[in-house]
Parts: sequence; C-alpha cells; structure tokens
Amino acid sequence: MATTTATITLSSADMMDSALSISNTSTLTTAGTDTGLVETTGLARKKFANASEFILLDHGLAQGIAADVTADKSAKVYIKNMNDRGDGTKYVAVLINSIEIGRLYGGDWMFFPWSGGSNKDVDIDAYDATETTLEYCVFYE
Amino acid sequence: MATTTASITLSSSDLLTDNLSLSSTMNLYQHGTTATGLDECNYHRANIPTGTNFTLIQESAALNTSGANYVYIINKNTDVTDYVVVSIRSEVIGRLYAGDWMFIPYSDATTATAGVDDPSGDDSDIEIQAYTHECIVEYAMFHVGETLLTASDS
Repeated sequence: MATTTATITLSSADMMDSALSISNTSTLTTAGTDTGLVETTGLARKKFANASEFILLDHGLAQGIAADVTADKSAKVYIKNMNDRGDGTKYVAVLINSIEIGRLYGGDWMFFPWSGGSNKDVDIDAYDATETTLEYCVFYE
Repeated sequence: MATTTASITLSSSDLLTDNLSLSSTMNLYQHGTTATGLDECNYHRANIPTGTNFTLIQESAALNTSGANYVYIINKNTDVTDYVVVSIRSEVIGRLYAGDWMFIPYSDATTATAGVDDPSGDDSDIEIQAYTHECIVEYAMFHVGETLLTASDS
C-alpha cells in the first residue's frame, strides 16, 4: 500500500476584513477504505495548438486506465495549464462528457475526483490555436 | 483588488520508485486581466442528508460573464465509507469520500430556459448528494460576482 497525500492551501490577506486561510490534506485511498491508491499514470505533459475539443483522458478504450476508472472506484485527476497567463483572456475549457466544468487560464491548476465510465472522457477545448502545454496526472485504483 | 492564492502539493514516498513531490501555486485572477485578483467569495458549511440531490452552488448569470470562478469542496466526515457525489448540469464529476477535497474552475458556461428555481435561465448548478450517511461539507467559491435576486416581498 502506498501513501499519497494531496494538500491544498487557500489564502488571502486582503480579500476580507480578516485573513483567509484554508488548508487541508487528504490521503488518496481506494473507494470506501483507508487503503492507499497504488496506481498512477505518472505526470504527463501534452502540447497542442488547435481550438477543437479533444480527449485528454479517454474512456473509449477497453483496456488500461479506461477500464479501471469507474464510478464505484476512486480516481483523482490533476491538470495544470503550463502557459503564461498572457493578457488573461486565453484559457482551456475542461469538460466531462462534453459538459464544461471550468476554464484553466495560464498557470491555473485543478484537482478533482473522477468517476469515469462510458463516454465520461475528460476533454480539453482551447480558446484558440495558441500553442498550449498541459501537465496532468491520474491516481486510481 | 485582493490577492488570493491556491496551492497544491501532491506527495508520496512509496507510490513510485522515486519520490513524488509536485507543488503548484496559482493566483486567482479576474478574466481578461494580468494581475487583478478576484475580490468576492462565499464560504459555507452544510450538512447534506442522504436521499436527495441538492443544489450546492446556484448558477448565476453574473458568473458566466467571464468564466473566472473557482470552487473548493471538502467532505469533512471521518467514516471512510461516507461519500458525496458532485455533479454539474447532472453530469457526475466524481465522488468525494471522507476527507477528500476538490478544487476546480467553474465557468457556469451554459444558458437554458429560466425556471422557478432557475431565475437566471442557466442550469450549471453544482449539485451534491450524500450516500451512506449524512455528510458535512465545507465549500467555497471565489468569483467575480453573483446576480443578486430581488426580494420577493420588495
């Protein structure tokens, strides 16, 4: 069993009258247990330069992690847009089953549980054809 | 203008042959700016009973004017079998088991017909349903502004 932790810290000294400081650490475990996840894609890096929606994490495959990530199992996804922020207007939209979750601007990251399943690919749809680099990683059982 | 940062550290000494140590920090900026921080947020704590899928974060027309909003959710339960399913537009994102957290951008990108519970005409609510036991969740949204609803008795 491996022990993998994910820690988040959200902080602001001036958004509100009092300082905001939220910090939590979770241990990545299999579904409904305290047994650590032991599989990962490792950190991957992808460059692209098109404005068409494409599949980053594919559930159309019958083998590999596509078969391992299902709703009753545990999987966590990390994605970061490695581009510079630029003028702040360019982003990549992240979608599941073509439903937009949100937009990662240059330098932004996200971390979320992934239920996977048929057609539940994680897709990317860039604002334009500017060359973009993503780094991503999946932890799963 | 406020300065708000979100940092993540992913680490393991025994998942791979070599140590895994990944850290990243981002500033929460407004769309179309190079350094103007988001200056509004909500921070909640709620008990989510089992048996019903609830709206956790209500869509708002103001949220999709730029798409630069961020949502944090954590399941504060301690029983490892307790979990919540988090969805957007009825599309399941995933399960948060006890102690798990998520942090995502939230663009509230769709527009639909307005309904009684959907005054802005948008269906991109973030929804949550608890399983096994009632779950305590804490959640925050950092945003550029929400549409305030006119009081019904005004």
